[in-house]
Amino acid sequence: MTPECDRVLEALGAGGELPPELARHAATCEDCKALTSGFGALEALPPIPTPQSTPGLEAARQKTLEELAAKPRATPWWRELLVLLATYAAVMVGGLLFLGRKGMVLNTASPAVVAGLALVILLLVGSGAYLALAPMRRHVPWVLVAAGAAAVAILQVVGGSGYAMARGFLSGVMGCMTTEVLLSIPPLALALVLLCRSAFQPVRAFAAGLSAAGVSLFVLHLHCPDGTAGHLMLGHLVPWLLLAGVALFLRARMPTRSYAP
Amino acid sequence: MARFCQGEAPAFDALFQRYSRPVHGYLTRLTGSPSAAEDLVQLTFLSVVRARGRFQAGARVKPWLYAIATNAARDHQRRNRRPEELTAEGELPATVAADTPGPRDTGLERTVQRALEMLPEGQRIPIMLHRFEGMSFAEIAESMGLTESAVKVRAHRGYARLRELLAELREESSG
Repeated sequence: MTPECDRVLEALGAGGELPPELARHAATCEDCKALTSGFGALEALPPIPTPQSTPGLEAARQKTLEELAAKPRATPWWRELLVLLATYAAVMVGGLLFLGRKGMVLNTASPAVVAGLALVILLLVGSGAYLALAPMRRHVPWVLVAAGAAAVAILQVVGGSGYAMARGFLSGVMGCMTTEVLLSIPPLALALVLLCRSAFQPVRAFAAGLSAAGVSLFVLHLHCPDGTAGHLMLGHLVPWLLLAGVALFLRARMPTRSYAP
Repeated sequence: MARFCQGEAPAFDALFQRYSRPVHGYLTRLTGSPSAAEDLVQLTFLSVVRARGRFQAGARVKPWLYAIATNAARDHQRRNRRPEELTAEGELPATVAADTPGPRDTGLERTVQRALEMLPEGQRIPIMLHRFEGMSFAEIAESMGLTESAVKVRAHRGYARLRELLAELREESSG
């Protein structure tokens, strides 16, 4: 597509005849011949008659005015984000206080690694919530969300202490899995409710799931003493990713309250 | 839009008066049913009211409104249609049989409609917004959440593909 083809495309949309220099180009360029021919073919479709007002349109107007009268002040989107982040923080603190009766930070990796990974997870939680709720002018690319999730997963496994607990592997995995699922329920539920206030976009729902389940991933990261790669993958990361998938699955089936992007 | 965001009913009325008919026309073309389009206009404007806190200051109203209308139509088709009424990719068909037959139900019109229906949604929506709604590519890009150049490429490919499809369909019907 040359700059002239670009101008032909623009000029066709503006209506009327093509200026002479563009008409000359369109007559010789194969791309533009296809373009103008396709554009012209649509003339065969009749215009849609749109009556001044119909009972249906009037009912739509009335219903919308009632909705506006019931809630005249708009709620800015960032207030919902703040509510979600506050809930995340409450669940994190509550989870750590509840689980940490014998010590909140039982991760035996070096303090720098523990703190660094905790920051990475918090970054994921915050940015996931933002991507899920903020109005965007461009679609969120899947690759960005997938890269963020992959980075967190790899760093978790690489940053593991390697320390294995005396209790069996399976019971350890099941314990962490259960804790992660239970702690994820409140943030996930709220994230889903807030997601229904905008149009369904799979990538946003997945980002919301990663973010909400990241809350319990953060708690487990600090609290769980088992640092073997197998435990971290099966007990912490697999449920985290599954919960994100569940968020996507549920959001696709929930009613949408507003179709705004 | 700023006055509407503050809850002023006359500002909303002005918005409704200006856009409800074009949006109704767009949704009729998109769904093929004027009655479904009326329901979707209601959903579109209810969404506008409910989500006005998501409208970004300085953004254009028209692309935002058409983005909402497209999302509502897509959701409506996915939830209310049998799967066989969606395209193979699970996308919106361009049009289906209208509630009432149009006055120009010619063979050419049907062929063009079928060709348009065969285009993937990613090419069909920019073409519909460009050809029938008179939107600029900057507005279409804003409405679809894409870059302007991506939308131009899609529209260009869509028009070219439309020509190919029409040639194939004409060959089919004459052969």
